[in-house]
Amino acid sequence: MSDQRIFSRYKAYEIRAELQQGNVKKHRASAAKRKNALKKIIANITMGFSSEMLDLFPDVLEFWRIDDNMEVKRICHQYLVAMASTKSNHFEDALRLVVGDLTSGSERLQTLALRTLAAVPLDPYADECHKAVRTILQKSSNSEKLKKTALYAILKLLNYDTTRASPLLELLYDTLSNHREGPAVRANALFILNEIQETTPMLQNFSVDFDTCADMLELLAKLNEWDSARVLDSLTGSYVPHSHSDAHHFIEKSVSQLQHNNTSVVLNAFKFVLYLTKYVDYLTERLLKQLSGSMVSLLNKPAELQFLVLRNIILLLLGKEKPVLTIDISYFFVEFNDPIYIKDTKLEILYLLAKEDNLSQILQELKEYATDIDIQMSRKAIRAIGNLTVKLEQSADECIALLIELLDFEVEYIVQEIVSVFKNVLRRYPERYELCLEKLVRFTDWVQEPESRGSMIWIITQNYSHLPNYLELFQLFANNFLDEVLEVQFVILGSAVRLFTRNPTPVTEKLCVDILKNATERIDDPDLRDRAFVYWRLLSFAQNGQNGNIGMDAAREIIDGTLPPIALNTQLDPQIVEELELNIGTIASIYLKPVNQVFRLNKPKSLPDSPALNENREPLTIIAGDSRSRSSSFIADSIQPEFRRQSSSPVKKMDDYDKPAETINPLKDRRKSSSPSLHLSRKPSMLARKLSLRRPFA
Amino acid sequence: MISALFIYSLRGELLISKNVKPTQKSMAEIFRIQVINNLDVRSPVLTLGSTTFHHIKSAGNLWIVSVSRSNADSAAIWEFLHKLSALLQAYNLDSEKDMKEEFMTCFELLDVLLEEGVPMDTEFNNVASQMSVKPAIPADAFNSFTESIANGAGFIPRSRLLKKRSSSLFSQDSIQEQHSKVPWRVSGIKYKKNEVFLNVKENISILVSKDGSILKSYVDGTVETTTHLSGMPVCRFGLNDALSVTSPFYDGSPEVVNKKAIPKAAAGSVMLEDCKFHQCVQLDKFQTDRTINFVPPDGTFELMRYHVRENLNLPFKITPIVTVSRSGSVEYRITIKSLFPGKLSAKDVQLRIPVPPETVDCNFSTSNGKCKFVAAESAIIWQFGKYLGLTENSISATAIPAKGYQMKLDKWSKPSISLTFEVLMFSNSGLVVRFFDILQKDKNYNLVKWIRYISRSGAYEVRY
Repeated sequence: MSDQRIFSRYKAYEIRAELQQGNVKKHRASAAKRKNALKKIIANITMGFSSEMLDLFPDVLEFWRIDDNMEVKRICHQYLVAMASTKSNHFEDALRLVVGDLTSGSERLQTLALRTLAAVPLDPYADECHKAVRTILQKSSNSEKLKKTALYAILKLLNYDTTRASPLLELLYDTLSNHREGPAVRANALFILNEIQETTPMLQNFSVDFDTCADMLELLAKLNEWDSARVLDSLTGSYVPHSHSDAHHFIEKSVSQLQHNNTSVVLNAFKFVLYLTKYVDYLTERLLKQLSGSMVSLLNKPAELQFLVLRNIILLLLGKEKPVLTIDISYFFVEFNDPIYIKDTKLEILYLLAKEDNLSQILQELKEYATDIDIQMSRKAIRAIGNLTVKLEQSADECIALLIELLDFEVEYIVQEIVSVFKNVLRRYPERYELCLEKLVRFTDWVQEPESRGSMIWIITQNYSHLPNYLELFQLFANNFLDEVLEVQFVILGSAVRLFTRNPTPVTEKLCVDILKNATERIDDPDLRDRAFVYWRLLSFAQNGQNGNIGMDAAREIIDGTLPPIALNTQLDPQIVEELELNIGTIASIYLKPVNQVFRLNKPKSLPDSPALNENREPLTIIAGDSRSRSSSFIADSIQPEFRRQSSSPVKKMDDYDKPAETINPLKDRRKSSSPSLHLSRKPSMLARKLSLRRPFA
Repeated sequence: MISALFIYSLRGELLISKNVKPTQKSMAEIFRIQVINNLDVRSPVLTLGSTTFHHIKSAGNLWIVSVSRSNADSAAIWEFLHKLSALLQAYNLDSEKDMKEEFMTCFELLDVLLEEGVPMDTEFNNVASQMSVKPAIPADAFNSFTESIANGAGFIPRSRLLKKRSSSLFSQDSIQEQHSKVPWRVSGIKYKKNEVFLNVKENISILVSKDGSILKSYVDGTVETTTHLSGMPVCRFGLNDALSVTSPFYDGSPEVVNKKAIPKAAAGSVMLEDCKFHQCVQLDKFQTDRTINFVPPDGTFELMRYHVRENLNLPFKITPIVTVSRSGSVEYRITIKSLFPGKLSAKDVQLRIPVPPETVDCNFSTSNGKCKFVAAESAIIWQFGKYLGLTENSISATAIPAKGYQMKLDKWSKPSISLTFEVLMFSNSGLVVRFFDILQKDKNYNLVKWIRYISRSGAYEVRY
């Protein structure tokens, strides 16, 4: 190893000196030194000093010429690719060397050279690359790896010069349909064709016919995981089933891939099967179970993949009235060591899955989270309970009872969050939960955050008739008007005006006028000021009532009209869902947004038309067993999962598992203390220390 | 798919930058600012404009980041990043220091793994045969396979791999002959002794509520396999999976079998909620007749992964009684009973009993094992080096608060009591490997099979 560190900044001349040092004699020590110097070049390029390294182009070329070490070659090629954007004149010299490597007969070197040719965006390089790709793909004796490289080079060439490279598309088609070609090569040809169709304006009507599709699915058994995933991905959307039976056939063929260990294969298989189900006339229960099962078992993957799967579960749940997936809710209970993004997503799923019949189980979990040490988690859980209250009318009592119970914990952030949440609850059920009001307003002093303050003010104003001391409570906030943050100021202003219109007494009038005055004279924010002016004019207009245009009632209608009912959106637009279902497992599925909203360059996908397409997207009938299968195992298969799901519902007890012990060790009488003497094993608080110090003297 | 791949040190120094498509220089900078230097990151994915960063953190604290410019397959990207992270470990590159020295190895690795940013092959043995540098760990140690079961046998494939490698340019490129019909196995492998090691590893997680009802319980299991087999063997593997037990072999109604199974954990058969297989398993075969047939890759791999929720064998029962005494201290009386057979024993059993944060001192008396109060964690830790089967032990403890302080149990969030353990030759799910054989006509093909069951605790928690 050299005495100098490789990974630090060097000047070009320093490296050049080092390169030339060992040039005289060609023995081992100097070869290692040269290699180190070359490595320094790459390190410097990584660190972002490529313009400095550009000076070394002639030196690099020289070593390329004389050294036949593989590692040196690799560094040279990498250098060339890194410098591609500079279009230096040295590239002409370099081309000869690259072509030399291409014809060297060593496969590794050939691959390297071909990649370099494709990566350098210069005409002479592209010409050579064209030639090389043709010869490699036409010669059947070449290895799969080299052929794959050639296929991907086509993709590059197309991006470089579309019109010139378009004849190469023929080659791709030929490779795809050539049965003597290796499975992996054909799979990649299919993938590249699909890639071209998706990312370029070419190949608008690329499609795969029945035979090719059947062929490719046959090949799955011979492909490695990545190729399998890409085949399934490419077939989605490009193969269009023309009859129900075709679609059924391919579902049967591909459903086994759901059991793969690689998440990408599973999700792509899921996508393909789901796509095909749009072209069938019925679904089998067994298939639905397999689909659900495949998702569940991905939940013990690394956290990032778990996250992706959970997002996709949300996507599938949002979709329809009757979701494809039926998964027991206990899978979505938060684990202690889940990363925060998984906790969030699980909470969202719990919320989506909540129904009257599983609510008590979910609420119990949420209560557990709400008292969690993690403050963020606790807040989110409370928020979820609030949303559930609004979502499930029949079980609102149960949710409210829990919120009130949590209120009794009297922990500051829990209280604040509950107050924030209660605004929506009371808006949804205006007359039902008056009894909670008194309890809530006890915490008026507790609320500090803008949201919970705003919420509290709103609650007081809205329910003033049930609160005898509402003015007193409101005063607390109103007196503080000038010191509040803007968000709360808006609420105070609105509330003051509303209190006055609802109950016009001298007291409320004074309150209202004070606030209006403050807002118009002492506030700098133009929005707030303007709003105050609007209110003021409106009120004075209404009170004077000169023109008879606007009376007090009309003003009340404007200021304090009936609020629209809250609807929590738990469903996405069906069209968006349809597109997203064609993008399962992709980045768009994480954000749950239509593809071209996130990625301008990607074309939106849609279900291709076919006589078999379920035009009206009617829900399909689900038949119990698989009537067409003759194997007895299928029948057993479809019966058994059923009660395995059922059996999870009755609550089991720890005692059910009990067995009599053979040995019972009795407690030893001696009671040991963790602190042998009276020394405290833990640093006590100041107060505790004082108390314990005082004791001997007492 | 992947437009660029970056690897950063923990502090955000760019160590590897592999651009597949021309990428702006500032990209690496953007990620550093937006994610590495940002403490408030809550998601493993970040999209800015139409550029998406997927990132993971490796065990050696490197940031491995993929940049993609279109709607790429996130599943493939994350799977790939995790595989890459494992391979970096195998090549001893998983630390800032090593990476700075041997970054060319990493570039070579990426060249082998990726073609135009599309993952090609990540199977360890195949990768190793294409690399000019030998991996730091033998093929058998891959998949974090550190158990002593493979002692001695570990270096056979390694030496074989070494022979094929040479960094000289004009050495025979042997890729062509190596690539056989099965993409994950090289042909022409020979062993003197044909051996198979099966490791059934299970993690059991349960959550028990105050009244003793089980809120959730599940087992995550894997079957790790190490094969030292000659030729191209087709292996057949059978479990006591309920579906395969009932359907082709039994003609009795499946309900009879399962009625028996519901009340008690039975060893007769298990229900594999769902399982995932290594790419070598013929999935269509499994679909039709529930047999697991495969041509294994050489060395160690994870044959299958499963998840079971029903009919579990719980290894331990914990009964806590927690009360607040009048003097303001918290009284614990907890019994723990092992439910596995008396012949077996568990090791490294540790019961963690949380105490209120106000606690300054604890008194306890135990029937066995070691016990201590860890003030920093607000918990009593009760440990056993070895715990025999069907044995009951109890602890009685008092958590004493600082003087004059009253413990309020209802104000305390009461973290669960948790247990960690490891039991050998015990299966939480009741899963049993019924057979493993090789469909080989040759009579001389002798096979030595080893099997081991390891049950560990996942989150084994009891509320009180």
